[in-house]
Amino acid sequence: MKVERKELIVIGAGPAGLSAAIEAASHGVKATVFDENARPGGQLFKQIHKFFGSKEHKAKIRGFRIGEDLLKEAEEKGVEVILNATVIGLYKEKEVQVQIGTEVYHYKGDAILVATGAAENMVNFRGWTLPGVIGAGAAQTMMNLYHVKPGERILMLGTGNVGLVVSYQLMQAGCKVVALADAAPRIGGYGVHASKLARCGVPFYLSHTIKEAEGTDCVTGVTIAQVDDHFRFIPGTEKHFDVDTICVAVGLSPMAQLLKMDGVEMADTRGGYIPKCDETGATSIPGIYAAGDVAGIEEASSAMIEGRMSGAAIAEYLGYMTGEEKSSREEELDHSLEALRQGMFAPKNRGRKIEKTEEGIDISETLLTKGYIADDEIKRFPGYRYEVKIHPVIECTQNIPCNPCQTACRKGCISIGDNITSLPISVKGSECVDCGMCVASCSGQAIFLVKENEDEGTAEITIPYEFLPLPEVGDKGSALSRSGQKICEAEITRVRTSKAYDGTNLVTMKVPTAFEDSARFFIKA
Amino acid sequence: MLDIQEKLKEIGPYVPEEDDDLLVCRCEEVTKGEIRKAVHGGITTIEELRRFLRCGMGLCQGQTCGTLTRRLVARELHVPQSEIDVATSRSPMRPLAMETAGNDLGNEEKQ
Amino acid sequence: MERIKNHPILGASPAGKLVDFYYDGKKLQGYEGEPIAMALRVNGIMIHRYTAKRHEPRGVFCAIGRCTDCVMVVDGQPNVRTCITPLREGMKVQTQYGATADPDFGAAKKGKGGATV
Repeated sequence: MKVERKELIVIGAGPAGLSAAIEAASHGVKATVFDENARPGGQLFKQIHKFFGSKEHKAKIRGFRIGEDLLKEAEEKGVEVILNATVIGLYKEKEVQVQIGTEVYHYKGDAILVATGAAENMVNFRGWTLPGVIGAGAAQTMMNLYHVKPGERILMLGTGNVGLVVSYQLMQAGCKVVALADAAPRIGGYGVHASKLARCGVPFYLSHTIKEAEGTDCVTGVTIAQVDDHFRFIPGTEKHFDVDTICVAVGLSPMAQLLKMDGVEMADTRGGYIPKCDETGATSIPGIYAAGDVAGIEEASSAMIEGRMSGAAIAEYLGYMTGEEKSSREEELDHSLEALRQGMFAPKNRGRKIEKTEEGIDISETLLTKGYIADDEIKRFPGYRYEVKIHPVIECTQNIPCNPCQTACRKGCISIGDNITSLPISVKGSECVDCGMCVASCSGQAIFLVKENEDEGTAEITIPYEFLPLPEVGDKGSALSRSGQKICEAEITRVRTSKAYDGTNLVTMKVPTAFEDSARFFIKA
Repeated sequence: MLDIQEKLKEIGPYVPEEDDDLLVCRCEEVTKGEIRKAVHGGITTIEELRRFLRCGMGLCQGQTCGTLTRRLVARELHVPQSEIDVATSRSPMRPLAMETAGNDLGNEEKQ
Repeated sequence: MERIKNHPILGASPAGKLVDFYYDGKKLQGYEGEPIAMALRVNGIMIHRYTAKRHEPRGVFCAIGRCTDCVMVVDGQPNVRTCITPLREGMKVQTQYGATADPDFGAAKKGKGGATV
């Protein structure tokens, strides 16, 4: 038997763990990261959508690219990453048991950071064990890592950001999403994510949940039904769908078993069963830290900053930084983290119904229940403006911490101001030059360029487009409304693809002027 | 601590429910009905349930059913979920072959 | 289920090396190094095992090695998590009944009380 001493042991090479190791290493700490998977990066490599936030949070960059950058940085900083290494035990004396291959190794860390992330929650319904019922994370793993379609026809249970984002990714992978259901009465995730689905015609069933997954050997169908305020099924409200796959996205729980094992003080909170820790992730046992989802479910962007904060705190704990240096670094990071924790979807607002925006505008009720903004609601938001000349219409109606559109426009057509959660304003009198950068930089795909051709009674609408096949100039078809209804004929007049757009193509369609405020998607005839 | 006698009086006898045959623990195939019956028989902690029914003791170690079981026990006992302690964590946290568990000399051999 | 050949964000799928493997004695093909479960899925195989008590079919559920629902008998070893075990040429993958590859000893026959782990 032998035990090896390490300076810092990080458990989990996801966004939090890697960020912490990088930060600690940059102050001189020798950091070792164990991860049970064959490749590092945690869930980042399954995130193919553009992130929200501001530049410092890597907004408008797709998750997997952030993952690549983190790995590169870890390598540059000399972080040791040991893969296929499963931590199976952690003790209060900071002993770590690691299974590598068919052997068990023992290490002792001067400091330990637990960054084990989260596990998916589940609900049990009749048939939930049938092959074909999968977690939303499983779907992401199959399609985004291994290029395998999870199914052909899919029902998504859950309308939080995971349910919404994965549904969209399923469509990008070429699957048909037949519907999204959620037992809650309102869509839980960002309205902009829901709108991307709604305008493709995907229906939302709120206050509905799965009654039964049908099939003998695997899923062949699903029945959902409406539930009352006590989540009991209402007879006669059943709806059946032919599907081969049911995806479950009903939230995440911190994977805090290792922390519980080592004996740190734990707390049952709305963010899950988590260790009691300060803002740097220091737990009740000196030298044991926690960062990322394991310390409370948030976004990957917050996990990366939390990791950095823990990394700095650990550097101080190990004597590589003075208290003063640590405080100043912490302050800097805290500022950045706090920015992400603002707005309607902030952790402090979890479960609360918000009726008005920070600007005092009524939230779109249709957006919360059907996934799109009704035609008569859009005009009350500051992102909407009428003009004949080309201009951006920004359909961003909830206060979320995100501002790449403001910096994308060099002509000052879009204004958010210093408060990152403020709704973007389409600035009156500004001169849009049709560069399309705002459309491509909006992680929520909520910006459209609109112009009228007065002489011919038509309008041209530029939409973000992230599907294949890409429409071609001259293609004729139908324009779809925000709710995904065919509303008029449309013809493609321009298609733009550019490295700067990073996968978000710009498709311009021509429609009769009467539909310039409602046509938001295109389907080829 | 719950006063089990008082609690059992309060929640009344076990009454079958239509979906009692629904699985809660996928690995050990423990049903909702089995857990409910156990609760009404006086088993009120996750630890006891694990010993008695083996729910959460299978290959995945309660990764999937842990929360479901807690929620069910809390509902049955008419208490908030936070009053039901989560299961004790023990090594190994992932399924491990007995052969590997016995192979505790890794470091020595590598030196 | 199909493979995704061209993805709007990820582009063309990387070309892998196709290798033969055996599923319950039947020769199938998959990419070397991809999880066994992926190779099975593109071959249309959804059932990985039958459970010990209720003899119910199970397949991939979490796809990241946590839930252990996708375990099969691989090269004679039971309880192998196929969603995280890379495919190798010539691998023998078998449906798991209870804890074995033997439907009679394991769990295929209702009421027979198959082996439990």
